[in-house]
Amino acid sequence: MNLFTKQEDSASKSQAELLYQAQRRKEQLFRTNVGLSWGVLLLILVFLFSGNSLTIANFTFNTIKLDQQFIKDNMFFIAGGLWETIKISILSIAFATGLALLAALGRLSNNPPIYALSTFYVSLIRGTPLYLQIFFFFLALPQLGIVLSGTLAGVVALGLNYGAYMSEIFRAGIASVGKGQREAALAIGMTPGQTMQRIVIPQAMRFAIPPMGNEFIAMTKDSALVSATGFVHELMWRSTKVGRAQFRNLEALIMAAIFYWIMTLILTYAQSWLESRLAKGDR
Amino acid sequence: MAPIVKVANLDKYFGRLHVLKKINLEVKPMEVVCIIGRSGSGKSTLLRCINFLEEPSAGTIEVDKLIVEAGGKGREHRQLVHDVRLKTGMVFQEFNLFPHMSVLENVTEGPVTVKKMDRSKANEIAEMNLDRVGMLFKKDEYPMRLSGGQKQRIAIARALAMEPKVMLFDEPTSALDPELIGEVLNVMKKVAQEGMTMLVVTHEMGFAREVADRVVVMAEGEIIEDNTPEEIFKSPKDPRTKALIDRYRSGGVE
Repeated sequence: MNLFTKQEDSASKSQAELLYQAQRRKEQLFRTNVGLSWGVLLLILVFLFSGNSLTIANFTFNTIKLDQQFIKDNMFFIAGGLWETIKISILSIAFATGLALLAALGRLSNNPPIYALSTFYVSLIRGTPLYLQIFFFFLALPQLGIVLSGTLAGVVALGLNYGAYMSEIFRAGIASVGKGQREAALAIGMTPGQTMQRIVIPQAMRFAIPPMGNEFIAMTKDSALVSATGFVHELMWRSTKVGRAQFRNLEALIMAAIFYWIMTLILTYAQSWLESRLAKGDR
Repeated sequence: MAPIVKVANLDKYFGRLHVLKKINLEVKPMEVVCIIGRSGSGKSTLLRCINFLEEPSAGTIEVDKLIVEAGGKGREHRQLVHDVRLKTGMVFQEFNLFPHMSVLENVTEGPVTVKKMDRSKANEIAEMNLDRVGMLFKKDEYPMRLSGGQKQRIAIARALAMEPKVMLFDEPTSALDPELIGEVLNVMKKVAQEGMTMLVVTHEMGFAREVADRVVVMAEGEIIEDNTPEEIFKSPKDPRTKALIDRYRSGGVE
């Protein structure tokens, strides 16, 4: 954060000013070099999969040759899973957010059964694998006569799972709101419910948004596990389907990986933008 | 005149610590009472018991004919406490403005959420009260961009907007830089002159002397002296009162 922005002194540059500029140049140089190195690493990676061979002296490097025709043929089929992946992620995060808020409030409750319910839920979910939970909702529930579609089973499992983890974020957010805020609200006659809704939760949310962004990014990737049900045609499912059918798993998985990576980059960028916006309003 | 605030046989324990011992205190309408005493004497706790931010251990609190017994439970008790809070406005040492709301929203929050007043009426009342404390020009700002003195004046406006019968001030200037204390005391003085009943826990002896009708001195959880400012400052009866006043006179701050 640039708390100390430069004061332009047109007359003469003081020593502090010169030092500051030198430091700025150093930082810029560092950033430029990091950017360039990223570019080089990316080029190397692309080259490794380019299928070209490189001969240096008597040594010949053969890089990995990908089936370009397969990539062209299946590009749109795999990309078609993007929407399903995004849909599952958004539905799950919405469900998880609601659950997390309830679990966090339960955790802060003085009522023993409510407190127990919240900690029980968190413990149970955190104590079992997400992969198992997805199968449980998809494969085990039909035995009890409850049949969920693959997408719904995935959303329920991801939502329950992330809700348990995110409840900790909300709990910390609520705890970060000072006691004085509650007292001020009570003193003007607000009920405990109004105090929570109008004063505490809005401030807790502001605290919780950056870590929630991380959870959302993690979830878009964990949504790949839903492909295991075999009935949700998201990125991972599509790439393994065509990859296995034509024994082109390398190409198919690389394509899916690129899509996930790009999505993550976009979300990371959006998150840091949101975070800087929030920080600005705060200080 | 019948008292508007009456504290009878009030006891308060924090665990095993007996912080208020059989306190009896009456405040008449329009009276300004300053409570002074060393830190830990129980003066803030007494104030916070009056609007039940601290639940008293025993005794009775009466505010404007509402009588609340200590240790009550259930819906009826909660309703009484709520009603008492509506009749009292409170100003905190740390201001406690709502940081996610603008100055105007801070002041309208009570009327809109608690009294279900419509927004335009609430805005009108809020603007009137912000004007009263000289802060109307900052109504669209957010609290973090204001000085401590400005925040405290807004906190006073927020309490006044609920049109309380009694204002409780809990060391309202103790968190302020010395140069900002004056503006807050001036606003408090103005509110007092307008006829508000006030209970002020303070270390500001000048304010107590000039504005208070009565000064209550507390030590070790008891009221050791309760008199006019002249009497308290000119001829304190209790040696602890004398020591307290001497310390402030010599400029020492605890």
